[in-house]
Amino acid sequence: MLRFIVRRTLQLVPTLVGLSVLLFFWLRQLPGGPEYALLGEDATPEQRAALRRALGLDDPLIVQYWRFVTRLAEGDLGTSLQTGRPVLDEFALRFPATAELAISAIVIAVGIGIPLGYLAARRRGGVLDSAVVGGSLIGICTPVFFLAFVLKVIFAEHLGWFPSAFRQTPGFSATRITGFFVLDGLMTREWDSAWDAITHLALPGLALSSIPLAVIVRMTRASVLEVLAEDYVRTAEAKGLHRHVVRTRHVLRNAMLPVTTAIGLQTGALFAGAVLTESVFAFGGIGSFVYASTQTRDYPALLGFILIIACMYVLINLLVDISYSLLDPRVRVS
Amino acid sequence: MFKPESARSLSITAIAMIMALIATGCAESTREGGGGDPNESQPLVFAGAGDPRSVDPVLANDGETFRVTRQIYDTLLTHEPGGTKIVGGLAESWEQSDDGTEWTFKLRDGVKFHDGEALDAEAVCANFNRWYNFTGNYQNSNQTYYWQKTFGGFAENEDKDTPEANFSSCSAPEELTAVIKVEEPSANYPGAFSLASFGIMSPKVIEKVTDEKVTGDPGSPVLPDYSQEAGTVAGTGPYRLVDWDHDAQEVTLERFDDYWGEKAKVKTLIVKTISEEAARKQALEAGDIHGYDLVAPADVEPLKQAGFRVPVRDVFNILYLAYQQETSEELADRKVRQAIAHAVDRQRIVDTILPEGGKVARQFIPETVEGWSPDVTTYDFDPEKAKSLLKEAGQADLEIDMCFPTEVTRPYMPAPQDIFDIIKADLEAVGITVTANSMPWGDYIPYTDSGGCSLYLLGWTGDFNEAFNFLGTWFDGYDSGWGFRNDELFALMDEVSSVPDQERRTKLYQEVNREIMDYLPGLPISHSPPSIAFAPNVNPPAVSPLTQENFSEASFK
Repeated sequence: MLRFIVRRTLQLVPTLVGLSVLLFFWLRQLPGGPEYALLGEDATPEQRAALRRALGLDDPLIVQYWRFVTRLAEGDLGTSLQTGRPVLDEFALRFPATAELAISAIVIAVGIGIPLGYLAARRRGGVLDSAVVGGSLIGICTPVFFLAFVLKVIFAEHLGWFPSAFRQTPGFSATRITGFFVLDGLMTREWDSAWDAITHLALPGLALSSIPLAVIVRMTRASVLEVLAEDYVRTAEAKGLHRHVVRTRHVLRNAMLPVTTAIGLQTGALFAGAVLTESVFAFGGIGSFVYASTQTRDYPALLGFILIIACMYVLINLLVDISYSLLDPRVRVS
Repeated sequence: MFKPESARSLSITAIAMIMALIATGCAESTREGGGGDPNESQPLVFAGAGDPRSVDPVLANDGETFRVTRQIYDTLLTHEPGGTKIVGGLAESWEQSDDGTEWTFKLRDGVKFHDGEALDAEAVCANFNRWYNFTGNYQNSNQTYYWQKTFGGFAENEDKDTPEANFSSCSAPEELTAVIKVEEPSANYPGAFSLASFGIMSPKVIEKVTDEKVTGDPGSPVLPDYSQEAGTVAGTGPYRLVDWDHDAQEVTLERFDDYWGEKAKVKTLIVKTISEEAARKQALEAGDIHGYDLVAPADVEPLKQAGFRVPVRDVFNILYLAYQQETSEELADRKVRQAIAHAVDRQRIVDTILPEGGKVARQFIPETVEGWSPDVTTYDFDPEKAKSLLKEAGQADLEIDMCFPTEVTRPYMPAPQDIFDIIKADLEAVGITVTANSMPWGDYIPYTDSGGCSLYLLGWTGDFNEAFNFLGTWFDGYDSGWGFRNDELFALMDEVSSVPDQERRTKLYQEVNREIMDYLPGLPISHSPPSIAFAPNVNPPAVSPLTQENFSEASFK
């Protein structure tokens, strides 16, 4: 197991090196540059030239890349040109917003999706089953962006049940520890702060959960149906095992295999959806920052953010594989 | 190990949580103030489009930063509330020497900084001397843009492209008299003394931050800590900075009780970031914020209908259609330039695209700027005239490319694509074939700068009331974006930029404007007021053409 994990982790290195080379040179070949985005419409050519030189953008690309790599080796991703703050700090500031959103969506999707999928499979062909299959189709087909917008108009603007924007009510001077507002509230026992953050998460979390929820429901349903038809389930029932034991130990556990993979893959996709949802709810996470960085040609911020996200993506896949092998001994690579 | 029991309890918890949320619907929005006077009990929340860059304004050159720092700091001079006239700020009065190289400011008495220090001439000089003596990364044109633009370089320039210093010295002959000397007279003064970048900071703070550096190597300068948090900086403004929560993207300001002028009406002001325009509008409609800036022109009417307050700012910008005469020889013929001017229905652009208060531009500066000329050559919408001019020039079937930027709105150009569509249709109506070329803003500026487009849309928002701040941006010498050489015009610009006498300067500007509109290097299209919106229960501050709203004037009804 350990060897499996180490080997998979080591595979990260060439992936990231390749990605950084591609990204670095691709970004640099884009027309324009930060000297245009950062200085106003009226800056003189001298001012722009001075800024380029100061930022080291006049050096040969290979020199610039080497500078980037040597810095990276020291754990320094450089500074955002837009904000004048270290890229790592910026990431640490914005990541919790996106992650909190993604996690809440996954919690909603798993919490509702697995029981619903299971029930639909047990009562195949029933009303619930049809509703689940139809509903999940709508869920998959509805763009997250649109759903977020609809939820906001109905529940925030018209009914006023939920806030329409932000991660917390403005002026809520809560103590910040991790940057995950709900977690911070619970850690510091500022219950009102945690609750306030949860209410702000409700609508964007729901909107973002639509696709993973639909996928998980369908996967669970299909998987449970498949397992229910297996010989060993019949054997277990014939042996007179308690129904509860059969359902949990035999059916659900085996049915969870493909669902776990789906959850893992959905988590990656969630980050993409989170970017759009963030913008609808002014959530201020990674998405809006990356977008702004492309506009200003903020090379260090773009490179840093994309590399970190890529790392995480690979790690999530690794975790999925590991959990898979824990669930199913057959998967373990000898 | 996955346990179905945990799945069940998890799902029950999740469902219970959602049910509870929906049942209670207890989102505490800003609509619910406490009891008593709302000005004391609830914050006024205003949304901008981006995070501020720094709470030390000298390190910034963007409106989002200045929106915040203008509440914290005062400048020596300022603009009258809601207008463009330069008036005293921290200086009660000011005068310049005859040769325009010495500026004497008589300061207000009894002004206090947020840290208890008193304002005197020494404090003013401490600020100017600090800026002048910046070294290292501070000299990066991105860090001290406005200093370099108006006062040139530093005591010791470290880069060959940094302009020569025009600042010479600051002295305090009396407690409340500051004298600032410059090497050469310039049309940048007195306007520069009103720039938000030069907000006056407490001398005690300056002592503290003198050794703070913009760290990191030149390629990745890191702004100093004090500029990124509350706790260090102190100005004399109506609000003091109490918190900058980067996580929540909000800056919290609190009324400064010892303010020298009229105290802020609302105790707490919060400035938030919402980068998407639609999200800003919905947050206002949902009651999560009390106001926002950069309202889309199309939203102005609906917001008004719904009872929101959308005061109209006066115009202080210009949108123009630039002619590139170097790479497009057809445009070197003045008749062709005139034909295009007569072909475009600028009134239609103003009526259909700009918000209320937009105006057709007759020259390259708005009417409120001194030096605006009442008698320039005008080019009315006249397609027939355009056709005959094209014929005379032998360009009856002219083919030309035109560029416009995408994914961007500028205060002077709310909808680039729509404006382009109208111009294209107008030009095609007189027989010109137009090839569209669009690109993102980041690519657009360098591309148009280097002469890549024959016709292109661009504009400018003024920093202060001085025609040179507009005209000097384009016409004080050869510029690759325009690609023309008009020595007469360049000589006039050169002369006017160093005339100390404001009255004479104004006359010269009028001459420059006449010369420009005769020569017609481009077509001024419109002046557009950037809109700002407030909730129905807010008395807005006087809106400023220079987007310098003073939020201490705002209050809840």
